[in-house]
Amino acid sequence: MFGALLVAGIVHGLIIGLAALAVTLVFGIARFPNAAAGDTMTAGAYAGLLAHQASGSLALAGGAAVAASGAVSLLGYLLVFRPLARRPVASLLVAAIGVAFVIRAVLGLIFGHQQQVFQVPLAWPIEFMGLRIPPMDITLATVAACALAAAFGVLHLTSIGRQMRAVADDPDLARVSGIRPLRVMIALWLLAGAAAGIAGLMLGVKTVVSPEMGWEGLLTAFAAAILGGIGSPAGAVLAGLLLGIAQEVSTPYVGFTYKIALAFVVMLAVLLVRPRGLFGRMEGVR
Amino acid sequence: MEAYLVAIAIIGAIYVLLTLGLTLQYGLTGLVNFGHVGFFAIGAYASAIVSMQGVPLVASFAFAALLAALAAWPIGLVALRLRDDYFAVVTLGFGETVRLAITSEKWLTNGVQGIPGIPRTFAGLGVGLPGALATLAAITLVCVAAALALRRITRSPFGRVIEAIRDNEEALKALGKDPARFKIQVLALGAALAGIAGAFYAHYITYLSPDQFIPLVTFYVWMAMIMGGVGRVSGAVVGALLLMLFLEGTRFLRDIAPDAISGVAMASLRLGAVGLALILFTLFRPQGLVGDYTRR
Amino acid sequence: MSLVVRGITKAWGGFRALDGVSFEMESTGLLGIIGPNGAGKSTLFSVVSGFIPADVGSVALDGTSLDRLGPAARARAGMIRTFQVPREFHHLTVRENLMAAAPGQSGEGLLGLFLRPGRVRAEEDAIRAEAEATIDFLRLAGVADTPAGRLSGGQKKLVELGRALMAKPRLILLDEPFAGVNPVLIEEIMARIRDLNGRGIGFLVIEHDLDALSRLVPRVVVMDRGRVLATGTPQAVLADAAVREAYLGGAPA
Repeated sequence: MFGALLVAGIVHGLIIGLAALAVTLVFGIARFPNAAAGDTMTAGAYAGLLAHQASGSLALAGGAAVAASGAVSLLGYLLVFRPLARRPVASLLVAAIGVAFVIRAVLGLIFGHQQQVFQVPLAWPIEFMGLRIPPMDITLATVAACALAAAFGVLHLTSIGRQMRAVADDPDLARVSGIRPLRVMIALWLLAGAAAGIAGLMLGVKTVVSPEMGWEGLLTAFAAAILGGIGSPAGAVLAGLLLGIAQEVSTPYVGFTYKIALAFVVMLAVLLVRPRGLFGRMEGVR
Repeated sequence: MEAYLVAIAIIGAIYVLLTLGLTLQYGLTGLVNFGHVGFFAIGAYASAIVSMQGVPLVASFAFAALLAALAAWPIGLVALRLRDDYFAVVTLGFGETVRLAITSEKWLTNGVQGIPGIPRTFAGLGVGLPGALATLAAITLVCVAAALALRRITRSPFGRVIEAIRDNEEALKALGKDPARFKIQVLALGAALAGIAGAFYAHYITYLSPDQFIPLVTFYVWMAMIMGGVGRVSGAVVGALLLMLFLEGTRFLRDIAPDAISGVAMASLRLGAVGLALILFTLFRPQGLVGDYTRR
Repeated sequence: MSLVVRGITKAWGGFRALDGVSFEMESTGLLGIIGPNGAGKSTLFSVVSGFIPADVGSVALDGTSLDRLGPAARARAGMIRTFQVPREFHHLTVRENLMAAAPGQSGEGLLGLFLRPGRVRAEEDAIRAEAEATIDFLRLAGVADTPAGRLSGGQKKLVELGRALMAKPRLILLDEPFAGVNPVLIEEIMARIRDLNGRGIGFLVIEHDLDALSRLVPRVVVMDRGRVLATGTPQAVLADAAVREAYLGGAPA
């Protein structure tokens, strides 16, 4: 029982980790918690669903999710967040809620509100060290691992990724350098969108696709980003895993609905006790 | 027709109370409260539950205000230590957690089945128009009192300090004043207003369930505040009325063309319209439709 | 009666912004702090006023340690700072900015506000009169009802000074009061500072404008790279070779 929950927690945690990666990159570099990150995930899930229905290929679904979420994310930046870059952070916060609502409304209008599922073939679980692991979990974990490898590759091996990390590490640098080069910001929003897209696709495959799915996962993603330390991509992924496992393992005790509340409690505790998170830079949150 | 007008006037007044609370918190003090619906819900359930145990409504309303204000206390303690952006995330989480708690704690709230048969305000006057009119009179009175109190605050030393907090908290500290003390009071007071609004809502609708307290309600109030002009007491009233116009207008649209627009599509349209309004106002008219942001 | 700063060290990661900074001044005196950009002057202010905790070191005002106090409590202890970039309350008028700074207002409590309106009104009248006098003193009467956000940089500096005065401090910490201020106004501000100092208020002044500072203060502390390089009269420290090297890059003044 515990082992099965652990496996479920790891897959769930990878999803949270990817979503938290999207949140922490934007929070660390563009300097605000993007409430539209959840609904960007949803856009990826629907795009993946369409591609999967058309082709039956999970790889194509992944490509569609990345493309759709990346596009949504970039549009949000160019149309809304960039013009607001010099305004007080409250403006960005409110506008992000607006963007989230617009994305969800459009998805709701196009696809309706009934839940949809990915038609994936049933398969016998694989026995491994006494654990029965569904093959789909292995596939999803592989997809997540590839996506993370790609994201960290961009962050660590390309010059634009290094610039992003430099800004995320040192907000003062961002402040001194004034408005960040458009190139870096476009890359940032595309990368954050792509990570959210894969997270949305995985969540859709694991559970169901509905217009509300991303918004419901938003708080958990925020909690993981804060737990990992804002601006720390590796921290976000690790915190996502921790939180995912904690949520799954605690479900038998606290019940399904309190999963999100657990994330909230973790977030509060981190902010009060260790505001820079597990791996965050030295930065006041006040 | 009269019944309909009275009904929307009562709901409008409930939104006026909510908007006044947010105006105090964000408009005047700069606290980005994204969890307003949580305090509204606490007030609604608190008053409904105790009144159904036989507590008189006057006492249950006071209890609603008190409990909502008390709920703001821990949030306030956190708020003192956090920057705006983190505070927004925390309050958003608070609002959702309240709804989840209501969904889960069936022994207290009856979960998703909800609480039916909540005693009506002025039940002695019957369920028809007289009772509704009396309720409208009562809530209007509360709104006027709240607006006057807020106006008194904006023109007082307390108001000066909270506006100074919004403008530059560090500078206020440098003058020897602790922003923390003021923020807690502002949060509690705004929450109490939301709690009273919740109590009115519970005893007017007479049925409560968790899905009445989704985050969208918080952002209805934000939309009202932004449309009316952030930081203005009169703006809160104007904004809440514009919000009612929007909500009733969209409902009217669906009533005249029920085939063209399904219920779920209408829900999406409303959500999109709220989202678009938040974006467009923030981008192009941060001072609201009528207001000059720099002055009340 | 004095401000005593002892061995303040503050490091960010590996970078030592302040490295064992010590100095003393009469709390009714005038002391200048000069140094090139990045010398740690503003950081020192932030540490002394309690906005940034020191890693090591102590601050005491008139014999009382301030080390365990936050910024607001240090201000209430009688030491008010201003900021390098003015932090006016931009939506409030100049008059409201000044009135907000007055200490101990019973109208700042909600209970007092609603239960004792008469007392609040009387206090407000007194504070308004005091603000009016300060506005006249600082020659701000022309903009008294203007939102402070609309003022020029120099006027904002004056508003900050006015706010500091309204808080009734014993000692005022001024962070570059002359930066971005036109020369006529500089003379004006200097005259006000001298006048106030004559009434017993002490000033600790960070300034980049060496010339202006040397006309204002009898004694300066020279900082460079987080350390105190020299202390003395402006003329004496300017003659110091090390100071010339650090501050002026060896070039003639």
